[in-house]
Amino acid sequence: MSEVANIYRITQPREYQKKFLEAGVRSDGRKLDEFREALIGIGPVSTADGSALVALGETKVICGIKLEVAPPKVDKPRCGYIVPNVDLPPLASSDFRPGPPSELAQVSSQLMLEIVLKSKCVLLEDLCIAEGRMCWVLYCDLICLNYDGNLLDACTMALTAALCNVKLPKAFVNEETGAIEIDFKQKVPLNIRSRPVATTSSVFEKETLYVDPVREELKHASLTVTVVTSNEISGSTVDSDNICVIHKTGGGSVNEEQIEQCISNGRCHTPFVLSLIGSALTKSEV
Amino acid sequence: MAGLQLLSDEGFRTDGRRPNELRRLRCKIGVFTQADGSAYFEMGNTKVLAAVYGPHEVRGSRSKAMHDRVLINCQYSMAVFGGVERKKRPRGDRKSVEMTEHLQQAFESTIFLNLYPRSQIDVFVEVLQSDGSNYCACLNAAMLALVDAGIAVRDIVCASSAGLVESQTIIDMNHVEETQGKTQLIVSLLPKTKKIAVLSLNGRLHDDYWEELMESATKGCMDIFNFMEKNVQEYLASLSTSQSYADD
Repeated sequence: MSEVANIYRITQPREYQKKFLEAGVRSDGRKLDEFREALIGIGPVSTADGSALVALGETKVICGIKLEVAPPKVDKPRCGYIVPNVDLPPLASSDFRPGPPSELAQVSSQLMLEIVLKSKCVLLEDLCIAEGRMCWVLYCDLICLNYDGNLLDACTMALTAALCNVKLPKAFVNEETGAIEIDFKQKVPLNIRSRPVATTSSVFEKETLYVDPVREELKHASLTVTVVTSNEISGSTVDSDNICVIHKTGGGSVNEEQIEQCISNGRCHTPFVLSLIGSALTKSEV
Repeated sequence: MAGLQLLSDEGFRTDGRRPNELRRLRCKIGVFTQADGSAYFEMGNTKVLAAVYGPHEVRGSRSKAMHDRVLINCQYSMAVFGGVERKKRPRGDRKSVEMTEHLQQAFESTIFLNLYPRSQIDVFVEVLQSDGSNYCACLNAAMLALVDAGIAVRDIVCASSAGLVESQTIIDMNHVEETQGKTQLIVSLLPKTKKIAVLSLNGRLHDDYWEELMESATKGCMDIFNFMEKNVQEYLASLSTSQSYADD
């Protein structure tokens, strides 16, 4: 990049972004509706019961799932638990400081839980071992390794891919003794009923809508909208018309057309991500 | 106590290695764009990521800034899914704090502290998967990240662990060997001068075995140093060729 452009980028960052967006492109050369290249790796962490590493451009997120057993909640004796947690360590970006989880981390964790529950990705009833006595707990820990914007899309992709990689040991109640036995040698893949896919769009100064923002762009965006499609799996087909979560952050206001645009962005992007996850899974099984 | 037999009759360890054999080493320098310097280091199944930010202005309490030298801030963090059991506290527990202290000591011995007065260098280490010799892998990864960040250092510090099993010294212990309660020595060395930066011995050791154990650990460090040096040179060579094509 030439010296002058570099200086302009540092001294007048907002104007720099504005010049690109007004011309209908982005500062890294993408079009307004173009996504960054995404890569998914399944099972990088062998100590975890399911894991996935996602690289969305430079944003890198790793998801590790650990299984534990616990007694179910008293008011929901037939349900297990899913506990997602998003960790934004200071190693990922100078924006993150050491200390207790930041607002962004807490909100992202809560959103991950909502996405898993609302998309019915995993039914909590499938995690039951013995009603009222024991159930599976899925601890899903997402660690952001390098933050370059669009955390939610990368986290959702990583979580979905890691969940598809989880195998539950067979657990059954011994008929004679009534005790619960878990056989770690026999593993059954977790029943994944849908594969949620998130698509984030940002708005700059009320008018310009663009997808997959990077960190530099997020600093000047007035709001971001994340649309999550649920993509139920029925047999061998995937139904990608349902939307399960829409999450808008930021102080700016958005009109109905822009929301429609975000939803259609989500719909268009979904098949691409699903095929990426599908091919990563088949590669890992080989 | 009927423990696992760490050394078979033919002299092989639990993972099939010979007593003086290191695990497979792999590394990649410059993996992240956000950090000033970053590296990924693998010692067998122990996988570690390191990121360095700095030198920059002292964050937090200004009073910590020293007028004649740099402040080194390390943070050791273990991914919750990294061990055999899920770890509830990734950082802040005593073991992590101790590791952090040792890392800091090692870097204070090698970085030219007086070149960066009133500044701070942050070193963050994340253990993605742990299979023994965590500290060593962390130190090696963090050292490569420091090199990537362009921080002035005297030497490339390397660390290796060594242990004593049935009067036989073994190098580079894995998780199974570490948890058997045998003597473990962790040494962090400045390879060119063979000076010791950090040394930590756990367990009982008879004086007769001291020299042998120290020699094994030193040899382990030198082997790791050769590997790291080769990778650093390759990385720098690749950087310089890409620079020559950059625009003015």
